[in-house]
Amino acid sequence: MERRRNKRWHGKYRMLLMAAVIGLTTVLAACSGTSKGGSEGGGAGSGGAPQGRVTLKVEVFDRGNAPSGMKINDNYLTRYVQENFGDPNNINVEFVPIPRSEEIQKLNVLMASANDVPDIIFTYDTGTYNRYASQGGLMDVTELLDEYGPNLKAFLGEDTLKYGQIDGKQFAIPGRRLVLGKYASYIRQDWLDKLGMSAPQTTDELYAALKAFKERDPGDTGGKVIPLGMSVAPAQFEPLLWSFIEPLTEEQRYTLTQKLGSSDHPVLLPGFKEGLRFMNKLYNEGLISKDFALDKDKKQLWQDVQNGLVGAYSEDAGELYFEYNGTYKNLLTNVPGSSLTPIDPYTDSEGKHPKPGYAPNAMYIMIPKSSERAAEAIKYLDWMASGDHLFFMQNGVEGENYELEDGIPVLKADAPQDVKDRLYNYGDMAIIVNGKYMGETEKNNEAYIRQTPKEFHDVMRVSVNISNSDKIDPVVLPRPIEAEARYGSALADKYDELIVMTTMVAPDKFDATYESIMKEYMAAGGQAILDERTKLYEESQ
Amino acid sequence: MKPQMYLGRYWQLYGLVALPIVYFIVFKYGPMYGVQIAFKDFNLFQGIHGSEWIGFEAFGEVFRNQEFFKTLRNTLMLNFLDLIVSFPAPLVLAIMLYELKSGWFRKFSQTVLYVPHFISWVIIGGIVYQVFGTQSGMINNVLTGLGLREIPFLTEKGNWLATYLATGVWQSAGWGTILYLAALTGINRELFEAAEVDGAGRFKRIWHITLPGLKTTIVTLLIINLGHIITIGFERPYVIGNLAVREYSDVLSTFVYRVGLESGQYTLATVVGLFQAVVGLVFVLGANFISKKLTDESIL
Amino acid sequence: MSERTANRIFDTSNVILIAIAVLLCVAPFLHIIAISLSSSRAIMSGEVTLLPVQLTYEAYRRVFTDQAMLQSLGFTIFLTVLTTVLCMAMTVAAAYPLSKTQLKGRRLLMFVIIVTMFFSGGMIPEYILIRDLNLLNTVWALVLPGLVSPFYLIIMISFLKGIPESLEEAAEIDGSTHIGTLFRITLPLSMPVIATLSLFYAVGRWNGFQDTLLYITKPELYPLQLKLYQIINNSQASDLMRMEGAGMYEVLPEGLKAASVIFATVPILIVYPWLQRYFVNGVMIGAVKG
Repeated sequence: MERRRNKRWHGKYRMLLMAAVIGLTTVLAACSGTSKGGSEGGGAGSGGAPQGRVTLKVEVFDRGNAPSGMKINDNYLTRYVQENFGDPNNINVEFVPIPRSEEIQKLNVLMASANDVPDIIFTYDTGTYNRYASQGGLMDVTELLDEYGPNLKAFLGEDTLKYGQIDGKQFAIPGRRLVLGKYASYIRQDWLDKLGMSAPQTTDELYAALKAFKERDPGDTGGKVIPLGMSVAPAQFEPLLWSFIEPLTEEQRYTLTQKLGSSDHPVLLPGFKEGLRFMNKLYNEGLISKDFALDKDKKQLWQDVQNGLVGAYSEDAGELYFEYNGTYKNLLTNVPGSSLTPIDPYTDSEGKHPKPGYAPNAMYIMIPKSSERAAEAIKYLDWMASGDHLFFMQNGVEGENYELEDGIPVLKADAPQDVKDRLYNYGDMAIIVNGKYMGETEKNNEAYIRQTPKEFHDVMRVSVNISNSDKIDPVVLPRPIEAEARYGSALADKYDELIVMTTMVAPDKFDATYESIMKEYMAAGGQAILDERTKLYEESQ
Repeated sequence: MKPQMYLGRYWQLYGLVALPIVYFIVFKYGPMYGVQIAFKDFNLFQGIHGSEWIGFEAFGEVFRNQEFFKTLRNTLMLNFLDLIVSFPAPLVLAIMLYELKSGWFRKFSQTVLYVPHFISWVIIGGIVYQVFGTQSGMINNVLTGLGLREIPFLTEKGNWLATYLATGVWQSAGWGTILYLAALTGINRELFEAAEVDGAGRFKRIWHITLPGLKTTIVTLLIINLGHIITIGFERPYVIGNLAVREYSDVLSTFVYRVGLESGQYTLATVVGLFQAVVGLVFVLGANFISKKLTDESIL
Repeated sequence: MSERTANRIFDTSNVILIAIAVLLCVAPFLHIIAISLSSSRAIMSGEVTLLPVQLTYEAYRRVFTDQAMLQSLGFTIFLTVLTTVLCMAMTVAAAYPLSKTQLKGRRLLMFVIIVTMFFSGGMIPEYILIRDLNLLNTVWALVLPGLVSPFYLIIMISFLKGIPESLEEAAEIDGSTHIGTLFRITLPLSMPVIATLSLFYAVGRWNGFQDTLLYITKPELYPLQLKLYQIINNSQASDLMRMEGAGMYEVLPEGLKAASVIFATVPILIVYPWLQRYFVNGVMIGAVKG
C-alpha cells in the first residue's frame, strides 16, 4: 500500500513536471519567435527600417572557429563593411553563415527554396557553378557589371572574368587568385650530405637517391625509413605523374584532358600509364609507405616527416612552413641536425619539370536569378575592389595589426590576441581575391612568402619559384562540358582508385589491373567526356 | 459491440494516439511528395512541380550502372555479416554482465562499455589507422618487433572485412546491452531461484529462463534489423573504408553521396532511396510475417 | 567436474572477458584525453598513446573560456531535456493505445507508422516544410521533426504488451479510466523501458547535428556536436578546401580538438549511471510465458 501511494504520487509529479516544461518552453519559443522576423542584420540595429533602406544578404563560410566574443555574422570586419559600405549606401548588410564542410549541400537546399537564398553566394566547385548556370538559376550580370562594377572589372581583368562566362555572358564573377604555383618537392639535405650525394635534378637522380636512402639508411631509422613520402592527396603524386606525360599537340590537350571536379586530370593523356608503372615500381621496391592508401588527409605523412622517417616527398609548396602546420618546425626539434631542401626533380622527356598550377580564378561568386538586390550586390563587390577597402580587410590597422617591411605588410606576431582576432576570417570576407593583394605580382608573391615565420622566408621563396616553373595552365573551354558536370565527381574517385590499385598490385599484374579499371573508368563517363570534348574541339575549328 | 458503446469505452485511447498521428502526418507524410523527384528530371530552380516528368528513365539508368550493383552487393554483404556478428554480441555481453556476481563491477563495466558509442566515426577512423596500419600501425609494430610478418589489416580486402566488423562490434556492443539489461530486469527472480533449487546449472538457467525472457526483445530487434538490411549508414564504411578496398567498402550510401548528392543529381539519389525504401518495407513485413508464424511474436 | 567448479570457471572467465572488453573500450577514450593534455608537437609526432606527453592545460583553458562553447553547452542541455521529455510523452501516448490488441484500426495505424521508417521525402521537401511552418532558426525545428521514433515506439509497444492484462483489468474493475490506468499501473511498471528510451532519445538528440546544418543559421542555436563537427571537419582536407590554397585558413591544433571532444561527450556519458537506479527489478515486464 505504501509503495502504491508513492508510485501514484510519482505519476502526478511527472505530469506536473511535464506541464511546467511545456509551459516554460512555449514561453521561450514565443520569445524567440518575435526576434526571428526577416532581416535582423549583422549587429547594427534594424528595427523599423528607415525609408528606402534595403537588405543585402551575403554568404559567409562558417568554419566554427569564431574567436571568443565574436560571431560569424557580427565581428570587426562585418562592422567595417556595414559602416563603410552599408551605411553610406543605405544598405543593411546581413551575413548568412554556411557551414564550410557542407557548403554545397546547404547551398543546393537554399537554392531550391528560392526565397531564402542570399543575394551573393559562392563556391569553389566548378561543377556546382556549371549546374546552377545550365539549370537557369544564375543571373546574367554582364550589363550590371558594366554599369556598377568598373573597379571590379579592372581589378579582376579579362583573364579571370572569362572563367565565369558561358558563351560570352557573365554568369559568375570569379575571384582573382594571386598565388598560382601549386607544388614543390623536398628532400633531406642532411641525408644527402651523409651519403655524399647532391640534390637530384632529374627523375633518375631522385630514384638513385631513394634507393640509397633505403639501402644505406642515413637517418638511422632502424629499417623504418620511408624514402618517398606518399599519400592519396594529389600534392604527393601529381608532380610525379605529370612528368611522364609526353609532349602534346593542342588538339590532344584540348580533347584528352579530363576536368573532374575543379582540376584537370591526365588520365587519358599519353604517358600516364608509364607514370603509374613508375609508382608501381617504387612501391614494390619498398620505396613508398605501405599505408599510403589509408592517408586521406596527409596526417600520417606529416607525422612520418616530423619523426625523421621520410627521405623525400612532393607537397603543396611551402605548406610545411606555415605556423598552423608546423611540420618543418617539429622536424627540426625532433631530429637535431636535420634539414629539408626544396627541389624540383621530376623531369619529362624534354628536361622540363611540368606540374599543374592553379587556375587564375578563385571562388565563383554568383547572384541567384531570383535576387532583387543584384545591383547592390555588384556595388558591394565594386566597393571592395576600390580604394583601400580590400587592403584594410586583409591587413587591418597599421601599427596595430601589421608593420610595413619593404612596403609589404607583415602581421605583428606580438599583437594582443583580440587585435589579431579582428582578421580571423579575412579570407572568407574578402571574396574577390584569394591571397594577399599588394598590386604587382612580385609584391603579391612576397606577401605570400612573408606569411610564413621569418626563419623560413628563404626556403619559402625557393619553394614558390619551383611551384611556378614549367607550370601547366588549365585548359579553358568556352562552354562547360555536360558530361563533366554529371560524372566528374564519381570519376575523380575512380581516378584515385586507379592510382592506388595499380601502385599496390604486384608488377606482373600491373597491366591487367590497369586495363580493367580503365575500362570501368571509361564506362562510368570517361568516354562521354572524351566524346563531348572532341566534338567541341571540332566545332571550334 | 455497437459503435457508440465501443467509442464510449475507447475514446480516451484514440485521444491519446491522435497527437502522435498528427505528428506523423505533418512531418513525415507532409514532405513525402518529394518522392516524385525519382520520376522527374529534377531542376533545382524549377522545383519539383516544374521539373520534367521522365517516368522510370532514371531507374533504368541506375540499374544499368555497374557501380550500383557492386554497391548493392556490398551493402547486403556488410549488413548480413554485421547481423551475424554484431547482433548477438550485445545479447551475449548483456547476459555476461547479468551473471556477474559483483554489483559494483557490473555497474562500472556497463558504464565503460558503451563509451565507444559516443565517439564519432571520424575520430574512430583516425584511431583505427593508428592501430591497424600496415607500416606504422601499433599492432604491426609489435608483430615486426617480434620478428613476425606484418598483417595488412586495412589494405587487403578480406582482412579489411574482419576489421570493419570488429570495429562495428566494438562500437555498438556495449550500447546494445542497455536495452537487453532493461528487459532482463523484467524477468521474475523467483524463476531463477526455483531453477537453482531444482539443481539447474548456469547454462541450463540461461537457456531455459534468461533467453526465453528476452525472446520478445530479440525478435523485435531482429525484425527491424532485417528490414534495414538494405540501408546502411554513411559514416562507418566511408571512414573505415579506403581506396585499396573499394571493392568491398563501397556501399549504397557512399554511392549516393558521390554520384548523387555531390553532383547535385537529386533524381539519382532519390531513385536509390526509393528502391531501398520499397525493399526495406517488403523485408520488414516479410520478417514480421515469418516471425508471427514461427514464434507468435510480431510488430504489426 | 563438479557443479561448483564449473560455476567457478564460468564466473572467473566471465570477469576476465569483461575486463578485457572494458580495457578495449576505455583505451581509445584515454587516448583522446591524453591528446587533449599534450603539447602540439608531441601530438603531431605521434608520441601520444595513453598518457599525456608534455602536459599542458592550454587546450582546456581555451575551451572553457570560449563563450560560444559554454553557451552552446547550456543550449544543448536545454534542447536535450526538452526533446527527451516531449518525445517520451508522445511515445507513451502512442504506445499505450497501440498495445491494446482490441483497438480497432490498430494495425492500420501501425502500418502507417512503419512506412515512415522507410519512406521519406528527402532533404529539400523537409526543408521547405520547416520553412513554411516558420520554424527555421527556432528550437522547434530541432525537436518536432523527430518527435516519435517508430523504432522506439515499437520497442515500447512490445514491452507494454508484456504487462499481464490481469493487472490492468483489476484497475478497470475498480472503475479506473484508460488514462487513469496508464498513470497508476502501466507507467510505474514501465520505468525501466521508459528510462531506457529516454536515454536513447537524449543521446540521439545530444549526438545529432545533421538537422542543425540544414535548419539553423543562428550561432546561438548551435548544439555542441555541431561545433565539434565543424572543429574536426574543418581540417579534414577535401578537394574543395585544397582549392583555397595553403595557408589560407587556420587549422585548429589537435589538442584543442581533443579537448572539445571531451567537453562535448562527458556530460552525456554521465546520464546513464544516473539513470541506472531505474533499472531495478520491476514487476513482470515481458514476463516469461509458461
